[in-house]
Amino acid sequence: MTAKFIGTDITHPRIWEKAMGDALFAADLAPDDCLVLKALRAGRHHAEIVSIDYSEAEKLPGVVRIFTAKDIPGRNTTGIINKDWPVLAEGKIRSMADAVALVAAETEQAAQAALRAIKVEYKDLPALLNPFDALKEDAPKIHEGGNLLFTRVVKRGDAEAAFATAANIIEREYKTPAIEHCYMEPDAGYGYVDEDGALAIVVCTQNPHFDLGEVCAVLDLPEDKVRIIQAVTGGGFGSKLDITVQGYIGLALYHLKRPVRYFYNKEEALLATGKRHPMWITIKTGVDKDGKLVACHAHITGDGGAYGSYGIAVATRAAVHATGPYACPNVDITALEVYTNNLFACAMRGFGTPQVAFAYESQMDLHAQALGLDPIEIRLRNALRPGAHTATGQLMTASCGLPNCLEAVKPYYHDAVTTWVKEEPSSPTRRRGVGVGAMWYGCGSTGAANPATAQVEVDENGIVTLFTGCADIGQGSSIVLLQLAGEVLGLHPSKFRLVCADTKYTTNAGASSASRQTYISGNAVVLATTEMAEALKKAAAAILEVGPETLELDDGLIRVIADHAQKVTFADAAKHIAKAGEALRWEGFFDPDTTPLAAEDGQGVPYGTYAFACQMAMIEVDVLTGEVDVIKIVAAHDVGRGVSPANLVGQIGGGIGIGQGFALTEEFETGVTESLTDYHIATVMDMPEIVPIIVEDHEPSGPFGAKGIGEPALVPTAPAILNAIEMALGERIYELPANLERVLDASRKAGWPDKLEF
Amino acid sequence: MPTITIKLTLNGEQREGNAQPAQTALSFLRDVMGQKSVKEGCGIGECGACTVIVNGKAVNTCLMPAGQLDGATVITTEGLGTEENPHPLQSAFVKHNAIQCGYCSPGFMMNAKALLDEKPDPTREEVSKALAGNICRCTGYQQIVDAVMDAAETIREGAGS
Repeated sequence: MTAKFIGTDITHPRIWEKAMGDALFAADLAPDDCLVLKALRAGRHHAEIVSIDYSEAEKLPGVVRIFTAKDIPGRNTTGIINKDWPVLAEGKIRSMADAVALVAAETEQAAQAALRAIKVEYKDLPALLNPFDALKEDAPKIHEGGNLLFTRVVKRGDAEAAFATAANIIEREYKTPAIEHCYMEPDAGYGYVDEDGALAIVVCTQNPHFDLGEVCAVLDLPEDKVRIIQAVTGGGFGSKLDITVQGYIGLALYHLKRPVRYFYNKEEALLATGKRHPMWITIKTGVDKDGKLVACHAHITGDGGAYGSYGIAVATRAAVHATGPYACPNVDITALEVYTNNLFACAMRGFGTPQVAFAYESQMDLHAQALGLDPIEIRLRNALRPGAHTATGQLMTASCGLPNCLEAVKPYYHDAVTTWVKEEPSSPTRRRGVGVGAMWYGCGSTGAANPATAQVEVDENGIVTLFTGCADIGQGSSIVLLQLAGEVLGLHPSKFRLVCADTKYTTNAGASSASRQTYISGNAVVLATTEMAEALKKAAAAILEVGPETLELDDGLIRVIADHAQKVTFADAAKHIAKAGEALRWEGFFDPDTTPLAAEDGQGVPYGTYAFACQMAMIEVDVLTGEVDVIKIVAAHDVGRGVSPANLVGQIGGGIGIGQGFALTEEFETGVTESLTDYHIATVMDMPEIVPIIVEDHEPSGPFGAKGIGEPALVPTAPAILNAIEMALGERIYELPANLERVLDASRKAGWPDKLEF
Repeated sequence: MPTITIKLTLNGEQREGNAQPAQTALSFLRDVMGQKSVKEGCGIGECGACTVIVNGKAVNTCLMPAGQLDGATVITTEGLGTEENPHPLQSAFVKHNAIQCGYCSPGFMMNAKALLDEKPDPTREEVSKALAGNICRCTGYQQIVDAVMDAAETIREGAGS
C-alpha cells in the first residue's frame, strides 16, 4: 500500500515559529520578576567539607535565601541509573562542579555577591583523575562502595580456543577522550506555583517524566504536586537526560513559593553537565583465512567521572557492541565503569558505541590489510544477517541492513580508490586517503524495560489531539509521530493538535535517547491511533449499516471504499461513540521485546531491533602540518523505513559534524576546558560534502517498519576518517582526537616530511 | 544605579530604553527591547547565536556594549518578516530543513541577511565564509548553506521582477 504521509517531507509544527524568531526557550519565557538562582561550585576535585558559613552572605542586600543540603526535604541524591549525585553536596566534594550551596537573590549581581561571601572550609583529598589510579587498591574511595561502579561481561563460545585456529590475529590498544555535547542552548529553566498548587518547572530536557520523578524524590512530594513542562529545547545529544537546573529550581520553589529561574551561562553548562566517557580499549580479534571473525577479546575501561548517571548503560552498551556489526561466535568482553574525580560522564549520542566503533573498525581494516582483502568485502563477509547470533546470543531475524549499506557505498568507494585518491591532491604537501566505517546500534535501553505510552483523542467536532510525553529537542520526533498517526488515521499531520512533554497532560514516553523514540513512541502512537481508527470504523459502520471492513479513513471522513459517497465525518462518528457512553480517548503502550542480560556472561536479548550503517570518508592530510581536510562523506543508513526523509538527512548531517569533531578536534579536559574558546567544534568551513543514502530494510516490529537514526548517524564517522588517514599516511593513529599533533606525529613516523619533493 | 538612555531604530521603529553602563547589547536587546530571538550561546563571541544587524553589519551582540546601539539602526529576526509575508531566508530555512533545535537559527539568518544585502549573488564558498562564525550542532550546515543560496536566488528574482 502506498503511504500518504510516511516517506514524505511534511513541515514540522514548530519550525515556522523558530524561523520567525518567535520560538520561546526557557530563558525567553521566564518572567522578569523571577528570583535568580546560582549554585556555589566547589572548584576542587576531591575534598571533605569541614564547614559552610553563609551567615554574612545571607545578610547581603537582595539575597533572599541560601540553601544547603540540610534544606532538602527528601532524597538528596539523583541519578538516572544509580542514585549517587547530591543536589547539594553533603560532607564531601567529588568533582569541581559539585554544588555546595544554592543562592536565591533578587538580581544576578546580588546572587554573585552572595556566592563570593559564602565561606567554605575544605580538607582536600587526593584527586583521582583517571580510572587506573582510581582502581589502585590504596586509592581513596570516591563513593562508599568503592571506585569500581560496575563490570559488564559478555562471554560466548570459547574465545581462547578460537584464537588458536585463527589465520590472523590483531591486538591493539585504543584511547578516546571526554567530549562535550555542546548543544547550543545553555541549560535553563524557571519555576512557579501553578493553578493547581503544583510546583511547575519549565525547562529544557530530554526526559520530562524522569525529571518529575527525581524532583518529587528530592522534595518528598507526590507526582501531582510537581509538574515538568518541556520548553523548546536547544539540543541535548544526551546531556539533557540528566537533571541540570530542575533540582535547584524545585528546591527553591518548595521553600519560597515564588517564581525562580536558573540559567546556566556557557561556562557553567560546560562545568556542571556530563561528558562523553573517555575509554581505554584493549581489543584482540582473530579471523580465519577468508577474513571471517572467529574470536573477539576486549577489555574496556570507562572513566565515569564523579557520578554514575547513565554510566552502567554506557559500559554495557560498549561491551554489547564491541564486536561491531559482525557475526563473531566466540567473544570474551569486559567493560568497567569506574568512578574518578573528573566531571561526571553521561550519555552522549552513541552511548559508548562510538568509542568501540573506532576500535572494531580499525581492527577490521587491519585484518583486511593482513589478508589482502578489500575493506568493503571483509565487512560483507562478516556482516550480521538474519540467522546469525550477536555477542549476547541474540538471534537476528530481520532488518539487518548492513550488507545493503555496504553495497550502497561500494561504488563510491571503488571509484574513490581507483581514481580520486590517485589524482593530484590540492597541494603538494597533502596526501589523499579513503576509509570506510560500519556500525550497529541497538534501539532503546539495553535489556531493560523502556516502554512508551501515547494517547489520541477525537472530540465531537472531529478535532484529533495526539498526546505524547516524548521530548522533541530539535531532532524532529514530533513530526515523525504526527506522520505515523496521520498515516493510520488518514489525516494530514497539520490537522492534529499536539500536546507534548508536559507531565500534567501527558504520560511517560521515556527518554528521547538511545535512538528509541521513532521505534518505541512511534509504536505507541500507531497502537493508539489504530484503536481509534477501529472505533471510528465501528461507529461509522453502525451509522451507514455496512461492515467495518468495507470502510477506510480519509481526511476526516470514514467512507465506504467502493462508494465514496457513503461517508461519515469524524465528528459524527465521535458523537455516536460518545452517545454509547464510550470514551473518545485511546491509548497505546509499547515496550520492545527484550530480556535482561545475564550478570555472569551478558547473554540475552538486549534490543528489539538494531540500526546499521556504513560511511565512507574521503580526506586529504597535510603531511607537514597534520591538518586533515574531510572532503566528502558518503553515509548509508538502514533506518528500516524512512518516515521523514529531510529529518533523516538532518540527523545524518548533524551526526557527521559531531563524529568529525570526535575524530579530529574535540577533547574535553576537566579543569582545563572552561569556555568555547577551549573547545573546537566544526564550523561550516570544516564540513565535508555529505552524500546521504537511506537504506530501508523493513523492521517487522517497527511502526510501519521504522527504527532509529539519531545515534547511528554519528558512530561510523570517526572510524571512516581514521581509516582514511591510515590510507593517506600508511600509519595508523590509535588515540582520538587525531589532532594536528597526532597526525603530524604519524606523518613523521611514516617519513613523509622527508619524502616530499618540490 | 545610573542608567543611560539609548535611542535606536529597531526593525524600522524608533525605540528608546535605559541600559546599565556595563550592559551588553545582547542583554539590552533581550531584556529591555524584548527581542527574544537574540540568543545567548557562549557569551564570548565564539558561536554567533546573538548576531543581529547593526548599521548594515552583522555583529555579535554579546561582545558589544549596549551604549554602541545609541543612534544605530538595528535589525533582529523579529523584524525580518511577518507570518503573512516571511523573508525569503525564513521561507528557505523552513523549506530546506535548515532548522532543528532552532537556537542558532536567528543568528544564522542575521548573518546571511547581512551577506545578501551586500552581495546578492554569492557563491557557496562565500556563504560558508560569511557563516563561519556561527555554530550549529544539529544540522551539519549543508541545509543552511542550501537555504541561503535558495533565498539569494528568490531575492534576486524578486528584485528583477
